[in-house]
Amino acid sequence: MSVIEIEALEKSYRVYQKKEGLWASVRGLFHREYRDVRAVRGIDLQVEAGEFVAFLGPNGAGKTTTLKLLSGVINPTSGKARVLGFVPWNRDNDYRRRFALVMGQKNQLWWDLPAQESFRLHQQIYRIETKQFQDTLDELTDLLAVRDLLGQPVRELSLGERMKMELCAALLHSPEVLFLDEPTIGLDVVAQHNIQRFLRYYQEERKTTILLTSHYMKDIAALCKRVVIMADGEIKYDDSLAGIVDRFSSHKIVTVLLNDGTQAEKLRDYGEVLSVEAPRVRLRIERERISATLSLILDRFLLDDVAVEDPPLEDVIADFFTQVSNKGSDDASDPFPTEVQA
Amino acid sequence: MTFRVNFLIQCISSVSWSAMNYGFFEIVFSYTGSIGADSGWGKYEYFVFLATTWLINSLIQTFCMPNAQEFSELIRTGNLDFALLKPIDTQFLISFQKVEWSSLTNGFMGLGVLIYSLSQLASRSPTPLVLSPLTIVLYIFYLGCGAAILYSVMISLAATSIWLGRNQSLYNFWFYITNFSRYPMEIYARSWGLPLFVLFTFVIPVLVVVNVPARLLADPLQSQDTWKWPLAGFALFATGMSLFVSRLIFKAALRSYRSASS
Repeated sequence: MSVIEIEALEKSYRVYQKKEGLWASVRGLFHREYRDVRAVRGIDLQVEAGEFVAFLGPNGAGKTTTLKLLSGVINPTSGKARVLGFVPWNRDNDYRRRFALVMGQKNQLWWDLPAQESFRLHQQIYRIETKQFQDTLDELTDLLAVRDLLGQPVRELSLGERMKMELCAALLHSPEVLFLDEPTIGLDVVAQHNIQRFLRYYQEERKTTILLTSHYMKDIAALCKRVVIMADGEIKYDDSLAGIVDRFSSHKIVTVLLNDGTQAEKLRDYGEVLSVEAPRVRLRIERERISATLSLILDRFLLDDVAVEDPPLEDVIADFFTQVSNKGSDDASDPFPTEVQA
Repeated sequence: MTFRVNFLIQCISSVSWSAMNYGFFEIVFSYTGSIGADSGWGKYEYFVFLATTWLINSLIQTFCMPNAQEFSELIRTGNLDFALLKPIDTQFLISFQKVEWSSLTNGFMGLGVLIYSLSQLASRSPTPLVLSPLTIVLYIFYLGCGAAILYSVMISLAATSIWLGRNQSLYNFWFYITNFSRYPMEIYARSWGLPLFVLFTFVIPVLVVVNVPARLLADPLQSQDTWKWPLAGFALFATGMSLFVSRLIFKAALRSYRSASS
């Protein structure tokens, strides 16, 4: 049986549309216009025990809403979901003792008190035995290198330190399922890296089932084998990370090192030239035409070197997000046409 | 209590408020001997009533008010998420998260006024007040009931923030409603007072909150026996119903919780 089973899950909100100005505000008291926002549109998903799954998608895609539904914070409009056999929004205490949700944008620790005190309260709420509590806390604070900061008021910690404390708090009761909503948001590269390393180690040790949303491709590349891409409240892709490029990128990047740099301009006939630093030229060529085009180039030019690469993952995903968000809108043109720079 | 000066200022403002309140009724009773003719609420009986009001209010302000206010704020900011994740009854968790110790000063003031008034009533003529241990136990019990009723009203008001998005009028509402609980029931006995009496006894039972314990203790002379015990019985029923209904409102509210962007 899967740890997480989602079937036709749907969540829509009614949002009040407020117009600008005083008169509109007064009118709003009597007559209101609402808009239905379908945040999650009938998604299906299964996650097995011990999987580390990444949720990718542009802002407003429905990732966080999905995590909130799975953790029982909000009730769905329709559809079913089971996590560890429980219906999340019934909010069974038995279920709530077995998972955790960490949100990078919100903090659950008491702002004015040292993290230690919040942890103690957690121990009581989750009814963790003192010995086990102490062992888990020691292990977590050592792994995250925050043991010395336990007695410091949370408001005096740096963002990175605070995030580590949030993780500690979430993991004290050794949850079997962990939902991470942008845990590295706003952190510097070193702090991000530390949290990634910690998560990878922790997941390998404990075999915790983890769902992660993040905007940092590095997080995802470092941690997850399986990637679910959401956009407009729907799941657009659910497969391996490597598969994303095959699926969504129609081009490859070809770099050639010409023997005679003066011929660089002539390469424009063979593909979209991304950059020319004679004698090195970078070209963007459609996937289907790649072998034909390459043999033509090899025929007509004398080359010192040639390399064929996939475009960077970030660019592929950014392109895909742009396509999705422009779909259906009047202005489908990209306001900032930029060339792919690798 | 992390912020000492803040704590001190709150204590001082609490005490001044009580003192002014006391002074006001000293002035009122310099013009009249009792509230209404033959109601039995003379000066010291009324000060027992006033002290009871303070005691209950201080319980509410110490234990419930900061949490109800915080609850509204948790809803607005979406931080209620975390309370909903914890394997513990959500209503319990949000109801007893914070304690505002400085509000307890009002309670001590109340206790002082109470003891002083009772000592004055002990030499009341023609029927001096005699307190039995049972009366004191019942008084404390009904203080608890009164606090429970006010807690229910407060948590219900706070829960409406889930539907309203923001409920800044919480304090105003609270003030309007509890204002009616501050005086002996007898004052509503005339003409248009009657609908108010019915509303605040049977629909939102804030009138019994102070009236029942204060009546038990101060024992005003006229309104005795015929309806003293039925009223006490009703207060018990009202407490149970208030807690039950506020629980239903709370649960319904959580089902509509929308969280907030993150």
